[in-house]
Amino acid sequence: MKEVWQTGFIEPMKAFINQTGAFLPHLVAMIVVLALGVLIAWVVKNAVFRVLVTAKFDQYSGRIGLSLALSKGGIRESPAHWVGRIAYWVIVLIFLMLGLEVLDLKPVDQFVSEVFSYLPHMLIAVVILVVGFLLANFFARATLIAAVNAQIVEARFLARAVRIAILLLALAMAFDQLGIAKNVIVAAFSITLGGVVLAFAIAFGLGARDAAKQFIERRLKREQEQKEEDFSHL
Amino acid sequence: MTVSMVREDLKTRLAAVGPADILVGIPSYNNARTIGRVVQAVGAGLAKYFPEAKAVLVNSDGGSSDGTPETVDRSTVDLQSILVAHRVNALHKIVTPYHGIPGKGSAFRLIFEIAEALKVKACAVVDADLRSINPDWMELLLRPVFREGFDYVAPYYQRHKYDGTITNSIVYPLTRALYGPRIRQPIGGEFGFSGDLAGYFLTQDVWDTDVARYGIDIWMTTTAIARGCKICQAYLGAKIHDPKDPAADLSAMLTQVVGSTFALMEKYAEQWKTVGRSESVPIFGFEYEVGLEPVPVNVDRLIKAFELGRTELTAVWTEILAPETLAGLVAVRLDGSEPGFSDALWTRIVYEFALAFHRRVMAHEHLLKSFTPLYLGRVASFILDTQSMSPPEAESRIERLCQSFEREKSYVMDQWDKPPIQGGGS
Repeated sequence: MKEVWQTGFIEPMKAFINQTGAFLPHLVAMIVVLALGVLIAWVVKNAVFRVLVTAKFDQYSGRIGLSLALSKGGIRESPAHWVGRIAYWVIVLIFLMLGLEVLDLKPVDQFVSEVFSYLPHMLIAVVILVVGFLLANFFARATLIAAVNAQIVEARFLARAVRIAILLLALAMAFDQLGIAKNVIVAAFSITLGGVVLAFAIAFGLGARDAAKQFIERRLKREQEQKEEDFSHL
Repeated sequence: MTVSMVREDLKTRLAAVGPADILVGIPSYNNARTIGRVVQAVGAGLAKYFPEAKAVLVNSDGGSSDGTPETVDRSTVDLQSILVAHRVNALHKIVTPYHGIPGKGSAFRLIFEIAEALKVKACAVVDADLRSINPDWMELLLRPVFREGFDYVAPYYQRHKYDGTITNSIVYPLTRALYGPRIRQPIGGEFGFSGDLAGYFLTQDVWDTDVARYGIDIWMTTTAIARGCKICQAYLGAKIHDPKDPAADLSAMLTQVVGSTFALMEKYAEQWKTVGRSESVPIFGFEYEVGLEPVPVNVDRLIKAFELGRTELTAVWTEILAPETLAGLVAVRLDGSEPGFSDALWTRIVYEFALAFHRRVMAHEHLLKSFTPLYLGRVASFILDTQSMSPPEAESRIERLCQSFEREKSYVMDQWDKPPIQGGGS
């Protein structure tokens, strides 16, 4: 009976206490790392916010259309606040991973190393999306103004088409970077682009033949009118 | 430090010519039809009015494919036809292509470099597409510099009331209100200037900007004013030139001229803020009346361009213009009924675009190009307003616009150093 008690309860209990004793310092260390991370993240968040406010980032975001896009997406906070918050969560996430690493558990270690190796791809994907958004706005406005100056009445449609094309391209590149359905994304993008070109070709060749004719006639007439004018602007 | 445009072979030719007194530059690009007569007029003018001076004619060509340089080479002056019997120094001709950014400014830069290399006292530049140039223009552009001690001579012409619309509606009123001198044709195309001033132009680091293109004229005039040069105007009669190239992009031209004007506003901000009112500039030459050719204008096309801009670009203008200016713009009617583009509204628009350019509220390219429909709207409004007016009456309307720019200058001075109101334009 005594032997059964010893092997059935006392030994496992001892092993449990030993393992817990060995694990506890790791757990405490993890909590300390996490707490430190939250503190650093909070400091960085405030610092980033203040720097961006000083650098008039909100005004700049307003000019490039970022504020409008955020408000359309239901985000009511200012872009500077938002960037500060992103910095906060990125740092908390990094310290969480470090904390998990401190636990020294094999499955967790493997998970952490996988997350860390994936993190650069996520960051690059975010950068691609942000740059894509800025470029889409820039080129959409450039297209709108150029089309208006060329007196193309479909100026707004052209500007929207340019914005959507650039955003789609950025999205496809971001997904590619994340490794999500790589082949599907490339195929979908190619099919979409090819489809759009084909749709235009068919529209101009068949369905919208008259519209295309009118468009070309309008342009030729306008060029003729310009030739007939003889006043110098300078 | 920018690289010299004078290449080795040209240096050798310049060394062979040696120091000279006068240089006349003709920038050109596919002007074979008119440049021959321009060269003859220049040659005749130099022979008639500066027979004792060693003169050089420089054709700075942008790679013409219609035989422009060959036409310059072939053109000679029949001195008997202009009744010149005295001994005349031979006119040295230098026909050379320029390199670098294609544009009038780059062509001028090569002319300045040659002027500096030849140590000339006086220079003049004339457009290659002129049909109304005569030998007297040489005396009028060069004499104030060569003999009277002036540094810069701006042209003064009689032009059709619809000709030179960028000058009349933007550059002249703005330059006059900002810097003071009433130079009626600040971007006229024909100028006289001293060799020293040409050397000073070369020291400025602007040759990779719009100054290398159509921005050169306003840059030269403004630089001369800001440097405190002794300036006068030369009455040249009528300015008639070859029909403009229909392929020339108005928006690009306007962007280059207005962009250069706004950039100069930034550069010389401390200077123009101290200028209180405008002042007249002496005019040389007898002001005779000339008959002007009618100028066909399609007002409907201008109005359509403005209306399309108003429909599509209001969102862009919201970032540039103050709310009350935008409201005024929305109320503009170009069907002959009031209100058209009033002087006060147009003045505010130009000043607020200058402020937005200074504050970089958006890419300069976008800002300046979005200005084109507004400019066309103002031109249409001016044409509708003055269609039954005589030339002096139309000129008095331009004078009224200039006074509006001068009155409103305090607004731009007040706003210049203030930050923009977010989302509310200027």
